[in-house]
Amino acid sequence: MASPAKFETYFKAFRDIIRSMQGNLSLQEVLNKVVEKSTKVLGAKGALLRIFNKETQLFEVCAAHGLGKRYLSKGPVTTEKILSDMPELHTVQIITDIWNAPRVEYPQETWDEGIRMMLDVPLAIQDQMVGLLRIYLRRQRVFPKDELDFIVTVAEQCACVIERVRLMENQREHFTKLATHMEKLSSLGRMAAGIAHEINNPLGGILLFSSNMSKKVPAGDPLEKGLKIIVRETQRCKTIIQGLLEFSRDEKPQKDPFNINDIIETALGVVENEFYLQHVTAEKELAQDMVKTLLDKNQIEQVLINLLLNALHAVEEHGRVTVHSAVDQEQKKIHVEISDNGCGISAENVKKIFEPFYTTRGNGTGLGLSVSYGIIKNHEGDIHVFSELDKGSRFTIEFPILTEKPSGKGAHNETA
Amino acid sequence: MKLLNVLVIDDEEVICDACELVLSEKGHTVTSRNDGRAGLDAIREGNYDILLLDMKLPDFDGMDILKVVRKEKPELCTIIMTGYSSISNAVDAMRKGADNYLAKPFTEDELLQAIEESYTHR
Repeated sequence: MASPAKFETYFKAFRDIIRSMQGNLSLQEVLNKVVEKSTKVLGAKGALLRIFNKETQLFEVCAAHGLGKRYLSKGPVTTEKILSDMPELHTVQIITDIWNAPRVEYPQETWDEGIRMMLDVPLAIQDQMVGLLRIYLRRQRVFPKDELDFIVTVAEQCACVIERVRLMENQREHFTKLATHMEKLSSLGRMAAGIAHEINNPLGGILLFSSNMSKKVPAGDPLEKGLKIIVRETQRCKTIIQGLLEFSRDEKPQKDPFNINDIIETALGVVENEFYLQHVTAEKELAQDMVKTLLDKNQIEQVLINLLLNALHAVEEHGRVTVHSAVDQEQKKIHVEISDNGCGISAENVKKIFEPFYTTRGNGTGLGLSVSYGIIKNHEGDIHVFSELDKGSRFTIEFPILTEKPSGKGAHNETA
Repeated sequence: MKLLNVLVIDDEEVICDACELVLSEKGHTVTSRNDGRAGLDAIREGNYDILLLDMKLPDFDGMDILKVVRKEKPELCTIIMTGYSSISNAVDAMRKGADNYLAKPFTEDELLQAIEESYTHR
């Protein structure tokens, strides 16, 4: 049985590691603390911590303490070989035969470093191996079972700490990305509104003069064609700017309880003829048990029409477009999915599709999806896209099931 | 249609010029003002049938001028012009007493139609 003093040392090391996490340190700082503290508490020469990388399926060296340059310069020890026999998740592996143990990849360097014994401590959470902590000792000694158990317990706690910090860092990264994205979209929107207004005035002059002149030229006049084109193209500019203003307008949705299936039916009715012309059938799979939720009917209709027309443009003649709706009572959400078996979007382009002005169609303004994105976000909803080139795309939108209108002022604000 | 006396208030000269050309060709008389102050003076001093009013002026909000018109010259038929073309803008302008609404840019036909509609419906 290890002495109470020893347990106290363990306890203090353990406490320091926990504190290092609460101190808002980065993952790397926490890992450094773990190797440093375990070296100290076991009176070891040094320690090395490897974390399992789910992408590469390798245990990668993430922190080291007390090891010589010569040893470390061997680079990340090819962990595949050492860990080919996965240690039992909750047992410490003790290596005393430096020269012959299969887990020791560089026996010469290890011996030269003065290492005579190693402990491989798994960092595990339940049945998952998060990492491996290897502790290097200068001389061999006996580790009683209860001491080893204690090391494992501390290691498991460390694993939890590492996992939590890792999760927090991932979340932080995710939110930063989202925030940057939103910021980018809204500043673009403000800029777009300013530009739109400035451009409408000169366009006003062009359109009035050209439509006036166009009427004065006699039929067959060489100027007739040019003037008609000026009128038409100026009106096209107007449409583009209209889209820009819609995108930038941060209008609060006017929400009322609606069954989204009804809105889907209306949207399908609007695009029906376009689909018919291309021999494309829109298949409906609407949830029978769909519930009402607060939605701005016009805005959601606009989103659905956008997505349906995008799907139509993606498929060839006789292609297939499917609209599916579902209720998730557990998550208190409703889902709508619009999928097609069309040309798909490359992974690189998927990142750009919600950005204003991004378009693959010659006559598109590149605002449809960014406007839709804004509308969905204003409904506290979410939109996701899954796509594969030449196979098709699937857009899923979800909204929370809300029945109560937010009370107080502002629910029905008019924006000028 | 009766020949009208039209006042255009817009800080964009190109809009004033274009309206002047289009309307004078139809026989109407057109006066232009380039800011809110001069526009208000013209409204108060002159005798106009139609007012074409821009919403965004360098010194005044078009809505404020509209309020003065409704109070002091309720008989003056007012058409709002704006570069922020949106339905809620139009609704707001009509609610505040405008007779009609033109979203810039607009064609000669749209201008003439707006004037005719609002003047004959009065």
